[in-house]
Amino acid sequence: MALLQNILTQAFITVIAVCGVYVLTGLTGMFSLGQAAFMAIGSYASGLLVIKAGIPVPVAILIAVVLAMVVGYLIGYPVVRLRRDYISLVTLGFGEAIAALLNRMTTLTGGASGLTGIPRCIGLEVATISAVAAIALVAFFKTSKYGRQCIALRGDELAAKAMGINVTKIKMIAFILSVALTSYSGCLYSFYMSYVDPSGFGWKKSADWVIMVFFGGVNSLTGSTLGAFILSALPQFLRDLQNYRYVIYAVLVILIINFKPSGLLGEWELTIGNIKKSIRRIGRKNKKEER
Amino acid sequence: MSIQVLINGLATGAVYALIATGFALIFNVLKFSNFSHGATMTVAAFVAYFLVSAKGYGIVPTLIIGALAGGLVAFCGEFIGFRRILKNHSSATYFFVSSITLGTLYEGLVTIKVGSNFFNYPQFFEKSTVELGKVVISTTDLMMLIISTVALGILAFVIQKTRIGRALRAVSFDRDTAQLMGIDSTRIIQFTFVVSGVIAGLAGVFLGIKYTLYPSLGSLVVKGFIASVIGGLGSLTGAVIGAVLLGLVETLLLSIMGSGYSTIATFAIMLVFLLLRPRGIAGSNVQEKA
Repeated sequence: MALLQNILTQAFITVIAVCGVYVLTGLTGMFSLGQAAFMAIGSYASGLLVIKAGIPVPVAILIAVVLAMVVGYLIGYPVVRLRRDYISLVTLGFGEAIAALLNRMTTLTGGASGLTGIPRCIGLEVATISAVAAIALVAFFKTSKYGRQCIALRGDELAAKAMGINVTKIKMIAFILSVALTSYSGCLYSFYMSYVDPSGFGWKKSADWVIMVFFGGVNSLTGSTLGAFILSALPQFLRDLQNYRYVIYAVLVILIINFKPSGLLGEWELTIGNIKKSIRRIGRKNKKEER
Repeated sequence: MSIQVLINGLATGAVYALIATGFALIFNVLKFSNFSHGATMTVAAFVAYFLVSAKGYGIVPTLIIGALAGGLVAFCGEFIGFRRILKNHSSATYFFVSSITLGTLYEGLVTIKVGSNFFNYPQFFEKSTVELGKVVISTTDLMMLIISTVALGILAFVIQKTRIGRALRAVSFDRDTAQLMGIDSTRIIQFTFVVSGVIAGLAGVFLGIKYTLYPSLGSLVVKGFIASVIGGLGSLTGAVIGAVLLGLVETLLLSIMGSGYSTIATFAIMLVFLLLRPRGIAGSNVQEKA
């Protein structure tokens, strides 16, 4: 039971981060390969604030998320006005720089051996509620004016510009929102694990998240969430295969990209309307068979 | 800046230039950032290590095997990861994700083989330094500088002067039109991948000699990315200039403030550079096509 609880909590924390990646990659078509670095900022900043400054946990989380958003703004400012390739290259460089910095500032962060002594004060309940809230927030964002503008510029940036969409601003909003979500998941991570070290925040983690989004369906929030949930919970059950995990992931995704590029669920979203539709379809099929 | 730092910087820059051109070559032709480039370097470096240097052969066979392995990996990668997407005329996004996935795949395979251990290439030279007047240069640095320069020279010659190079430039300019003119663009893309893989293999072995061999060696590819951003995305000349500049600046910063902070500093330089001159030194601005 404790194992299951552990797996679920970690999976929900990942789901929050992947919600952020979905906003960036799924809605806007930008790729951040330094997204894990924002998670690192969230977990280190909130952890340090609690340990060194004795600030209560919720306030520390708030400060950490705001800090990550400010950093995100600084990184985003030069790149959102350029071709979308730049954001992946720049964030990749940023991720490596943050990893180097965390390893280097030994007195503050504990260097490669990690930051210990963070109070463990978050359980399954908080993770679940946060994950649901994050999903709801992103679902709301997707159907809002901004979300639709994001989808428009993903399809064709030039055409979106011609329709009067402020492409730079929208890209920035999407980037900051995704940074906020990811750093929040970092905060939860540190208060759940009570220990963080820099090795877990490399570009591989960011790539992992992108892969999860594509596995579930890049155009569908439901798919992305499901992909994150499955791909983060599955390896926990197959602990012996730890080393093979990345290989299996990669093979899965190569198959999906080549043969079903829209991902597991395609464009399908879990909404009340869609559920009704599929129930009706099943009903119709049954009637046909009865005849 | 002393001559010593200058020469070390040039040697580092030369290796970065190899990484950056291999990356820029693919970008040039297919207009996407190939994130499997780093892992290709890792695989090639490890293959060269296990097949050649661990058995006591010298530097030349190691480099040759490394280059061949890189070429082979890139060839297979193109076939597994990109061929079908290319045929479907999918958007650049899919190329991109495919390359990330291939990168994870290669790195995962290497990790299965070697764990997360570190390996060292054997000492290739009897004398570890060469003295030129007052300046002391490490033999490895000198060798890297020379071989990289020669390799880049050959590449430039192939692209500018030969028939296949002209075809490559045509495909890079407009794939469909080139196809209509009778160029087999699939073949050319294959060729581009193999060349980029060969260069990646060389760069991988160099990085392995300069630092150590470990499964995430490929993350050093980020230097090549930074170099090609500074130089101008997709421009080969720009990539080389950017890489040499980056090597010089980094060596200088390294001698001033140590390894951790110099990474941050180079990153900050790149950000400022993007803000001031986003199209890079070479000034080729690849705009998203409508």
